[in-house]
Amino acid sequence: MFCTQCGANNADTATICVQCGRNLQAAPPALPVQPGQAAPTTLVDVPNYLVFAILATVLCCLPAGIPAIVYAAQVNGKLQAGDIAGAQAASRNAKMWCWISLALGLVFTLVMVVGTIRRIGGR
Amino acid sequence: MTLPKNARNHLAALGIVGAVAAIAMLCLFDPATSGLFPPCPLRYLTGWYCPGCGSLRAMHQLLQGHLRAAWALNPLTILLLPFLAYGTASYALFKIRGQHLPRLFLPAAWIRALCAVIILFGIARNIPLHPFDLLAPGGVLHP
Repeated sequence: MFCTQCGANNADTATICVQCGRNLQAAPPALPVQPGQAAPTTLVDVPNYLVFAILATVLCCLPAGIPAIVYAAQVNGKLQAGDIAGAQAASRNAKMWCWISLALGLVFTLVMVVGTIRRIGGR
Repeated sequence: MTLPKNARNHLAALGIVGAVAAIAMLCLFDPATSGLFPPCPLRYLTGWYCPGCGSLRAMHQLLQGHLRAAWALNPLTILLLPFLAYGTASYALFKIRGQHLPRLFLPAAWIRALCAVIILFGIARNIPLHPFDLLAPGGVLHP
């Protein structure tokens, strides 16, 4: 086994590191994953894009933001249930619908701008 | 996004300049009369109000300091604004400094309720009967 402090290679049965003298029997502080501590960090790691979904739906008048809000709810629901993989899948869907909203909005704006220019040019 | 720090700073600067320019434009020009801003796609294509109809005009009125007019144009936007501002500020800070503001974790049930409120608000403001017509953009001001 390798010493967690200095990295020296020790025999698997060793109790004290041959190089730095660290106690090898004590569990290294950072490695063990405790279920109680895992939740807060994963909440930060799986974004639900709710703010963008609401911005698209309410501030930019794009109803395609509604599916994004539904997926945002799924992200938090699955996180509450401890289903990290499911939350990540829902997160990807939420992100995708935010992009679809943005793309639809840009296409519509472009069509309106072109229409306005043609109308002015036609006068 | 794992961009190099330099590129991230440039993007953030671009984003801030764009946001300030958009807010300045929205403050100076009224979307109701200027024709500079695109109309609501749903309203344009179907004639129906969407949950967000009036939100851009409401933001203009808010930037001009007219809270009552802003509320009349889209009360839902005004109610959601603190949450949206906090979320956007947190996102901007993350892009610039690499750290979020303290994260708000909304239970899934709250988000579903919010979704239902948005959809019901969108339906209700299209009903041409009192008191639902008060929810249409400007409805409270012209009863």
